[in-house]
Amino acid sequence: MIASIVILALFPLIGAPHSWLLYVFLFSIYLAMANMWNLLAGYSGLTSLCQPSFLGLAGYTMAIGTWVGIPWWVGLIGGAVVAAIFAFLISIPVFRLRGIYFAIGTLVVPEALRMIFYLWRPVGGQMHGAGAGYMIKGIADVSMADIYWYALTLGMGSIFLVGFILRSKLGLGLAAIRDNERAADSCGVNVFRLKLYTFIIAAFITGLAGAIFYLYQGYIEPSATFNVKWTMTLLLATVIGGMRTEEGPILGTIVVVVLYFLLARYAGYSFLIQGIILIGIMLLSPQGIVGVLRHNRYYRSLTQFINTR
Amino acid sequence: MIGFGDMITPIMMGILLGGLYALIALGLSIVFGVMRLINLAHGDLVILGSYMAYALMSHLGLDPIVGLIIGIPVMGVLGFGIQKYLMGRAFGISAEAPLIIAFGISLVIQNANQIAWTPLSRGLTTSYSLMSFHIGQLQFPLSYLLNFIAGIMVMVTLREFLIRTYLGRAITAASQDKRAAQLMGINTNRIYGYAFAIAMISAAVAGVFLGMTFPFTPTSGTSFLTIAFGTVIIGGLGSMLGTFIGGIILGIVQTVGGYFFGAATQMLIVYIIVLFILAIRPQGLFGR
Repeated sequence: MIASIVILALFPLIGAPHSWLLYVFLFSIYLAMANMWNLLAGYSGLTSLCQPSFLGLAGYTMAIGTWVGIPWWVGLIGGAVVAAIFAFLISIPVFRLRGIYFAIGTLVVPEALRMIFYLWRPVGGQMHGAGAGYMIKGIADVSMADIYWYALTLGMGSIFLVGFILRSKLGLGLAAIRDNERAADSCGVNVFRLKLYTFIIAAFITGLAGAIFYLYQGYIEPSATFNVKWTMTLLLATVIGGMRTEEGPILGTIVVVVLYFLLARYAGYSFLIQGIILIGIMLLSPQGIVGVLRHNRYYRSLTQFINTR
Repeated sequence: MIGFGDMITPIMMGILLGGLYALIALGLSIVFGVMRLINLAHGDLVILGSYMAYALMSHLGLDPIVGLIIGIPVMGVLGFGIQKYLMGRAFGISAEAPLIIAFGISLVIQNANQIAWTPLSRGLTTSYSLMSFHIGQLQFPLSYLLNFIAGIMVMVTLREFLIRTYLGRAITAASQDKRAAQLMGINTNRIYGYAFAIAMISAAVAGVFLGMTFPFTPTSGTSFLTIAFGTVIIGGLGSMLGTFIGGIILGIVQTVGGYFFGAATQMLIVYIIVLFILAIRPQGLFGR
């Protein structure tokens, strides 16, 4: 695994084609977000449908920051912090909701934010017609290789972060909550606080990934940002790979990125096909690819081999 | 200073609009009441109903309301199929599986609509949908009145159906206690299918009246899902009278809010009200 990360990190130096960089870049961004969604929906029982609001807020913070003279890298971190604070704020209403209510309560959040960013244009004067879009200023000297490395670091870091969280006290508490929330509560696990921590961590990393994505794109506007299609991508990556497994989002994200480029030519049909895949996987193999693989003898010996090294 | 006279128009519009909102929310409420499932695809199913009426109108020249003769059976069968082949299986898998599958259905319908009818905004324009009626000095669109009447008619029909027919009583029984209903010899899986079919029929009716009132695009589903959800949350999930009152409250909030803060903020006000009510009373104003 370390070897593959080193090879990926060397891509820009050995002059790999631009399209390869783009594949790995998107893979890393989606991976970080899918890992966080898996942490929320798979391990904490928080089926959050408001991930676009975190990545969008972080992107907007960075973009608006560059307009008032804040360097982009401060905005990048600041954006993630804003996303984390926002997660804390919306946790006050939405954490009172359980299961499916939580899902629909969070679905409303990006919709509301999209409206707000259509109407509210804090800097740069009023623009007519097209809504409040922003160019990100002062990033001419940031090369594709730099952005690529940031994304790769974040994507790979998120794998280790999830592993670390699940083995920490937080992760043990989450496992207890997942198995039986009431029993965990009566054993002294502070259910509310653990869920809140997870929500905030997930918002921070998702925000960071979003800000890096918009650094690459160089432009941000409300309708594509606070869009349910982001949620779809994360859901698909996690469900295809296997929810509640650590390797699931990695495999799932590879499939999603491959699908993305295979279906790019048929733009209109892309999400139709992805939706059908999502339903099919959920019905036929709820544990995704990992669920299928775990029944396979060779896969088991391979994971054992990796773990013992 | 704004006098009371100026306020009458937005309040009346809000009440009439509430009938439409209740109609949109009805299907969501039924599916929740019977199966304990919040159908994330409901908004898109309503929009699918609008597009069906649009297709019948533009190809066969059928009036949208007459087109329901075809639209209702098609949507009903579709609903039964969705429940039998997708949702019914999903309940056995895990707690979040029905939610994820509903999300998948929502995206499939959205994109199928987009492919079939392009992302352009459409409307069901008939000879009477642009007419208006007068109460004293004030003028209101006729389509709003039609919405209100249709909302009441569908609700009364459904209520009578649930109370007076065997199937209706079986649905009520299954929603109250699944195991007890099974022991009484009710095939709950089939009952769930019928309940979903009824929800889809109400979505077909809602789609037609929505299309005559507002322009719609393939992605309108999400905002109407939010409206339906807001209506149901205000009224309390599963209660039919609550749904109706919830629709009217939401309608008034939207039109009066739009009157004070401008039309562009209407939907934002609805979203904020929904989040606010969720925060203080998740079970709804009239819920238990």
